[in-house]
Amino acid sequence: MDKKRIPIQEGLFIEAASGDEKPYLIGNKCRKCGLTAFPKTPVCPVCQVQDTMEEAHFEGTGTLDSFSIVQAALPGFQRPSIQAYVNIDNGPKIWTLITGCEPTEDSLKLGMKMEMIIDRVREDEEGNELISYQFKPAE
Amino acid sequence: MRDVSIIGVGMTRFGKFEDRDMKDLGREAVWTALNDAGVSIKDIEIAYVANAVGQQLTELKGTIGQHVLTSAGIFGIPIINVENACSGGSTSLRGAYMEVASGNVDVALAVGVEKLFCGDSAKSAQTMAAGTVYAKFGFMFVALYALQLKKWMAASGATKLHFAKVAAKNKYNGSLNPFAQFQKAMTVEEILESRVVAEPLTQFMCSTMADGAAAAIVCSREIASKLTEKQPINIAACELVSGTYNVPGQEHEEITTRAAMKAYEKAGIGPEDVNVVEVHDAMSPAELRLYEELHLCKPGEAGMMIDEGHTALTGRIPVNPSGGLAAKGHPISATGLAQVYEVVTQLRGEAGKRQVTNNPKVGLVENAGGWTMDDNAACAVTILKK
Repeated sequence: MDKKRIPIQEGLFIEAASGDEKPYLIGNKCRKCGLTAFPKTPVCPVCQVQDTMEEAHFEGTGTLDSFSIVQAALPGFQRPSIQAYVNIDNGPKIWTLITGCEPTEDSLKLGMKMEMIIDRVREDEEGNELISYQFKPAE
Repeated sequence: MRDVSIIGVGMTRFGKFEDRDMKDLGREAVWTALNDAGVSIKDIEIAYVANAVGQQLTELKGTIGQHVLTSAGIFGIPIINVENACSGGSTSLRGAYMEVASGNVDVALAVGVEKLFCGDSAKSAQTMAAGTVYAKFGFMFVALYALQLKKWMAASGATKLHFAKVAAKNKYNGSLNPFAQFQKAMTVEEILESRVVAEPLTQFMCSTMADGAAAAIVCSREIASKLTEKQPINIAACELVSGTYNVPGQEHEEITTRAAMKAYEKAGIGPEDVNVVEVHDAMSPAELRLYEELHLCKPGEAGMMIDEGHTALTGRIPVNPSGGLAAKGHPISATGLAQVYEVVTQLRGEAGKRQVTNNPKVGLVENAGGWTMDDNAACAVTILKK
């Protein structure tokens, strides 16, 4: 059986096609006030008028806002997990899973530089890999 | 707008009831409230019924309020179904309150009912997380509470010891509450040593699944004394807000504070006048943050509030005398009305072993729920007055 890599949700991110490219998040930005959003929001929550939001891509560097090492998990998800908020550079604060480090308190510090990668969240019932944007401590 | 009073309250015990369905739970809560008020089923002119996940987890696939109330013998009147995540109970009360305040009816019923144990705990857990856009990533509410509280600890000076102390206070209160899911007092050490769920939260700081129902009957204040011999408890405010966007680089006012300020203003009552409080602490340590957010103390004083026993049953402003969500149990839509049940019971002086000792005149209920735009989806603050 061929196992596939499937985005956990369409329209959220683009995985790098080659080694030279970087993955990015698909959000949007208000052309009137500059507000950024991820995931996309159809109406700017500051201007509160229609048709001001334009697609914007965030290359996914940022700083760690808050995190918790979570020992509980929903069925099918790995435990422990690290769940966090990251402040995207030139973008919004977003909820994310953290990967690429030990799930210990010492591995992470608030305010540290973070970098986005596309990584496996879990396997679905057919054994396919469900992938998503996640963040890891920057090199 | 007319003044509105609560004249009857009722609730089931919260817990795991494999042989009871929502109709059975709802019927018990409604009839307890009717009997408490001493009013007839025929006095009820309109009803609001809150439920969050019944369609996903039970055999009822819609018009849950009608199904539940029909089993209680109530039909023919307008029945409005309410879904507002964990704030459903308070939202239901607000509907009933507005019907009476506006003059549309004289007597209204508010109900919250929930059944989370469905024989498949994985399904229940997934359903509870599914209210957020991040559910498919493994998002959990306990993680959200944990990361927020961890960040808040640094700002407030509160410690994990404070977290355990507030949980121990609530477990003690719950041990005195015959309606609580968990009626066992616990020491600070037992709570600190229980398994970590999401750092810094341990097992006994967190609420779990529960089944249950709660109800309240409201009427216009002027007819309260004709309808019932019970002391009417007046609704001084019942304010509801939804979440707001976190604009990057700008300060974001807490939804709980926004709801509380509206309620204080409407009631003409300040936080200094409040004598007994029930807060929405799906994880007990959230209560500490809420002391500050509801302006029950100044920023940075939350730890002191628990250290000095101000919020204990015998304190100057008891908080969560029912045991709060972790001890009493948290059947989503029943929670808000169970909080109202507790504050009404305390204001009447009928809370038995867990009766607060400051002879309360004014009580406050805070009931938040859901998650959207990185804020709670809803928050209700109700102020009740003897």
